Amino acid sequence: MAETSVLPNPLREGIRMRRTPDACAMVIFGASGDLTERKLLPALYYLARERLLPGGFSIIGCSRTPYSNDQFREKMRQAIVTHLNLDNGNDPILESFCKNVYYLTDNFGDPKAYSQLVDLINRLDQEGKTSGNRLFYLATPPSFFPVIVKHLGSAGLAKPKDPDKTWTRVVLEKPFGRDLESARQLNRTVTRVFHEDQVYRIDHYLGKETVQNLLVFRFANGIFEPIWNRRYIDHVQIAVAETLGVENRGSYYEESGLLRDMIQNHVLQLLSLVAMEPPASFDAKAVRDEKAKVLRALRPIPMEQVNDFTVRAQYAKGFAEGKEVPGYRSEPNVSPKSVTETFAALKLSLDNWRWADVPFYLRSGKRLAKRVSEITIQFRRVPHLLFQGAVTDSIEPNVMAVRIQPDEGISLRFSAKVPGTTPQIRPVKMDFRYGEAFGASPPTAYETLLLDCMLGDNTLFNRDDAVELSWELVTPILDRWKQDGEKGLASYEAGSWGPVEADAFIERDGRAWRRL
Amino acid sequence: MLTLESLAGGESQEVKISELESKLAQLGRSKMKENQGAEATVTRAASLTLVVLVETPEAAQEVSEQICAISEQNPCRAVVLVAQPEAKPAALRAWISVHFNQPSSASAKRLCAEQILVEARGDAVNDLGNVVLPLTLSGLPVHFWWRAARFDPPDYFRQVFRLTSRVLVDSARFLHPEPDLLELAGHVKRQSAQFSFLDLNWSRITPWRELISQCFDRPETRGYLDRLERVRIEYESESPRLAAQGVQALLIAGWLAGRLKWQPGARPSRKQNSTSSFYLRSAHGEVEVQRVARRFEGAGKGVCFWITLEGGGDPPASFKLDRGCDGRSVVTRAEILGRPLVTRTVRLEVLDEAQLVNEELQISGRDPIFEESLSIVARCLQT
Ligand SMILES: NC(=O)c1ccc[n+]([C@@H]2O[C@H](COP(=O)([O-])OP(=O)(O)OC[C@H]3O[C@@H](n4cnc5c(N)ncnc54)[C@H](OP(=O)(O)O)[C@@H]3O)[C@@H](O)[C@H]2O)c1
Repeated sequence: MAETSVLPNPLREGIRMRRTPDACAMVIFGASGDLTERKLLPALYYLARERLLPGGFSIIGCSRTPYSNDQFREKMRQAIVTHLNLDNGNDPILESFCKNVYYLTDNFGDPKAYSQLVDLINRLDQEGKTSGNRLFYLATPPSFFPVIVKHLGSAGLAKPKDPDKTWTRVVLEKPFGRDLESARQLNRTVTRVFHEDQVYRIDHYLGKETVQNLLVFRFANGIFEPIWNRRYIDHVQIAVAETLGVENRGSYYEESGLLRDMIQNHVLQLLSLVAMEPPASFDAKAVRDEKAKVLRALRPIPMEQVNDFTVRAQYAKGFAEGKEVPGYRSEPNVSPKSVTETFAALKLSLDNWRWADVPFYLRSGKRLAKRVSEITIQFRRVPHLLFQGAVTDSIEPNVMAVRIQPDEGISLRFSAKVPGTTPQIRPVKMDFRYGEAFGASPPTAYETLLLDCMLGDNTLFNRDDAVELSWELVTPILDRWKQDGEKGLASYEAGSWGPVEADAFIERDGRAWRRL
Repeated sequence: MLTLESLAGGESQEVKISELESKLAQLGRSKMKENQGAEATVTRAASLTLVVLVETPEAAQEVSEQICAISEQNPCRAVVLVAQPEAKPAALRAWISVHFNQPSSASAKRLCAEQILVEARGDAVNDLGNVVLPLTLSGLPVHFWWRAARFDPPDYFRQVFRLTSRVLVDSARFLHPEPDLLELAGHVKRQSAQFSFLDLNWSRITPWRELISQCFDRPETRGYLDRLERVRIEYESESPRLAAQGVQALLIAGWLAGRLKWQPGARPSRKQNSTSSFYLRSAHGEVEVQRVARRFEGAGKGVCFWITLEGGGDPPASFKLDRGCDGRSVVTRAEILGRPLVTRTVRLEVLDEAQLVNEELQISGRDPIFEESLSIVARCLQT
């Protein structure tokens, strides 16, 4: 795909700020929805404030509810003020930002709506407000992705207006498919209309600073790479724990469950960043190639062995976030007989030289005791214990923990001698926290990802092959769980660290979950 | 004699020069104990040694407070030197203090700044360099913040400069902006291989440089950059920082000239009332750069510029940056004859001195664009 080719701007050189994208029109489908209001518009306004949006940037919102341009601008203005806690007073940047917001009442299935969209985009181009570049953001339930994509194609909106000078891109929200077959089907539908390079499948987890720091940490420091392999590492744990229940998303969750909602995308993405080989460069293709190789090396779990490598569970009533909370089956819009999992633990293996015989234990759940996401690298024990007697029991293996949220940082546990005449050894922790070391708050995931997408950098977005590979791993597990129904579904108290079955699952291998 | 006892919120203590390191370690340990609650952990972080030169005890007081803010983002050991060669009697005294912070997480406190203040009076200034040398942290870079009215380092700092990786100056403090800027340009030319230079006043114009360059990011405006004929930079004449802004206007001009390969000396420069003009040669002809000190009604605080860039090309175009009436925003306008006007309003953050230092300390290495701009300014001033 041709991307814009303009003479370089000599004034840009040496200015430390990030490049600003080309002028463009961003069309948001699902503009009256929750995501647009809570995440997208606040992130875009933040970018405008930080001088990261170009002059000549317009937003066109499309959804079913009828609004006039002014009504929609006011709704978005309020949303930005509320979600960013802004002072409601005179803010010339907000006013100027909202002036460039437009609205089209649109039923996604109606071709007329797309010809109206063409007219509006052309008008904005002529008024010099967009320069012919277009970004379509599908913030709608995924069932609408195919119909919107098809209509964009037939309306002639999917191809760049002038392939040598302008670009057109499409952003697809998660979830991308609900199993291997539907993901493949969706990829086929999308790539029939758009070239793969134009497609940005968003996983907001990858926009988080620490996830990107993980790459810097691994590949910009010489001391970790030599020990990042089966010779020194005993096993890896990845935990993504939430304290929230399903809130008001019961009907969505009933269809999805934890494996689809968390593991298939976020957790497997984290795994691929931990396990990937060093890419030849930090460009999108090289990084995405290496990540895909990891997913390709994951040993498949055949349906008949699913119970040996997984644990699934559902939360029962309990005590979370300082109050009594109901069990999953009593949540609104959830069937009282639901067998949807809200917790899963998996043991995965990678069939390659670096990771042979190093298990990766994944664990994620809703209504757990703490909100925390962490990657733990547990190193092997020392090969020979030279200290005698009781001391040896207290020698624990080294652990490196990469915390993604909250309190992003990295810690290392090692053994030290307790001062004194008796030989005592105790584990101590060396902690590095990003917030403390740099004192500045990083941009939110959506700010990073929206900007990357306007700049045409798809390093942090999922490619078609990676999406399909992760579904390939997950689909047999989903099939087996569906077949087993209630049988094998464990239960855990809301606010706990998950079912006892999960503890037994890892203890079987002589290991334990890390205390989070 | 002015007292320096109340530095860093009354927490400092006077110590003998020979005991600086041991007393500092002692103070750090005892403060760590105080700060350690039942479960709390205390960590210690340092990313550099910051040597600061000031000229008066009052300035030392100001800097001492700024260091607390700086150390939150750039944990460091700060050695603040008050050099008063004219003061009598000759004496060398030192104070120490430590600063903790507790950022995002509730449980952990961090020792993020150790401050050492050294006051040298009369001939004792000659010992300042030797006092600093053993106090730098091993393995970490040394940054020298020259917070004085001129950059003219005396010989007794020679050994400290050997360890220094970066010198921060602030041309806004220059008493005689043009000659002092020329002097700085000379130092930069001679010494930039040894350590890098940075001018906080240059950092203040970063957002303006960014906004100007953004005017030419679009394909339809990029071509005008090569055909600019006139640049007018107006700045607030009533501002208490008139000198600072005048220098900034010069640096903007030097930057444009350097980046666009304009050569100084097309014609001698001219000064008329409050307008000074340089004439430079571009590939397409002559470019006039005007600097105008003016009074503006209702001008906001901080850096104020009204910048117009006009050029040939077909159709003719002009690009304007106007400071918004709220003083916190800038409106940019791109006017191309016969095309719709494109405007954009953006926020302009005005950083205070500590924030500027913070930003600069996070970046390492030389800034060749600054060096290029300063050298062109020097050449223009000599035409
Ligand atoms: N919300 C989040 O925090 C979040 C986080 C991560 C990912 N996501 C993903 O983002 C997407 C959007 O989520 P959301 O929470 O914003 O959903 P939502 O609040 O339900 O919004 C859905 C949007 O689609 C519009 N829509 C539905 N049917 C339509 C039709 N036939 N014609 C035209 N418009 C129609 C709705 O318009 P009307 O209301 O006007 O009918 C509304 O604007 C989903 O894929 C979700 O999985 C959301």
